[in-house]
Amino acid sequence: MVTELADLTADMKAAIGQSGPTTTYEVTTLGIRTFARAVGYRNPIYFNEDEAKKKGHRALVAPPGYLGMPVFDPNRQEGGRRADFESPFKRNLNGGTEVEPLETVYAGDVLESVTTLAKLELTKGRLGQMLIRTSETVYTRQSDDKVVAKTRGTGISY
Amino acid sequence: MAQVYWDDVKEGQELPALDEEMSSQRLVVWAAASGDFYQIHYDDNFAKGNNLPDIIVHGALKGMLIGRLLDEWVGEEGRIVKWGVSYRGMDPARRNVKVWGKITKKYERGGEGLVDLDVGVAQPNGTQTTPGTATVMLPKKK
Repeated sequence: MVTELADLTADMKAAIGQSGPTTTYEVTTLGIRTFARAVGYRNPIYFNEDEAKKKGHRALVAPPGYLGMPVFDPNRQEGGRRADFESPFKRNLNGGTEVEPLETVYAGDVLESVTTLAKLELTKGRLGQMLIRTSETVYTRQSDDKVVAKTRGTGISY
Repeated sequence: MAQVYWDDVKEGQELPALDEEMSSQRLVVWAAASGDFYQIHYDDNFAKGNNLPDIIVHGALKGMLIGRLLDEWVGEEGRIVKWGVSYRGMDPARRNVKVWGKITKKYERGGEGLVDLDVGVAQPNGTQTTPGTATVMLPKKK
């Protein structure tokens, strides 16, 4: 049983508004096709570069919500994607996701994401006291500095 | 699918729903696509060891199924402005889910034709596990 908190700790309050390190995402043809296959798309612009170009696109198109994969390096210490703090709540659930697509993303794009802790709140639910963490992530394309998407995630710790 | 126009839709209208099989194979493809390799999504023994009845569908996959529903509905001339979902319940794998949307508001802003929707993912028995909302832009007839 987690000891209940009367209020957010000083570290928690200080973390609100803080941003984590920049994470680099690669958008590849393989990644796009795998994503499109898993989600069940049949639109050829997500599978066939020639078909995408016939529709006026410069490369294979990423379906909405696909923002590539973080560059994986087993020899690098994981930096984490968010500002963090000590928490007595050790179990985590994914509470929800919002996606705001702003620009078409293409194979070959390299995106940089920065996640900011927007809100923290303590609530009570059927799992006992819970910490609700709302994070906002902005994805920027390296080649033209355009913000291509914003996402908002809700994490539940209990 | 033929292009849908803002002029032709009305509040209360339902989108053509998706009936999607959530096979174990599909969850493995999603794991590769998303980088979410948590074993509750593909390892029977691990899932049962965590008091789950079966491997379960990734929440993010359900969220992206709603993205597909919207993407296919708005067509080449429309666009998704935003969508969001809450993961309120687990969906065991190896059964179908229904991905649905319903128009709640039709309006114009900045000359564009916009539509707000309720969206969600439901189990075969009707249980809603992934409710959400969305806003899309639909083209107007010339």
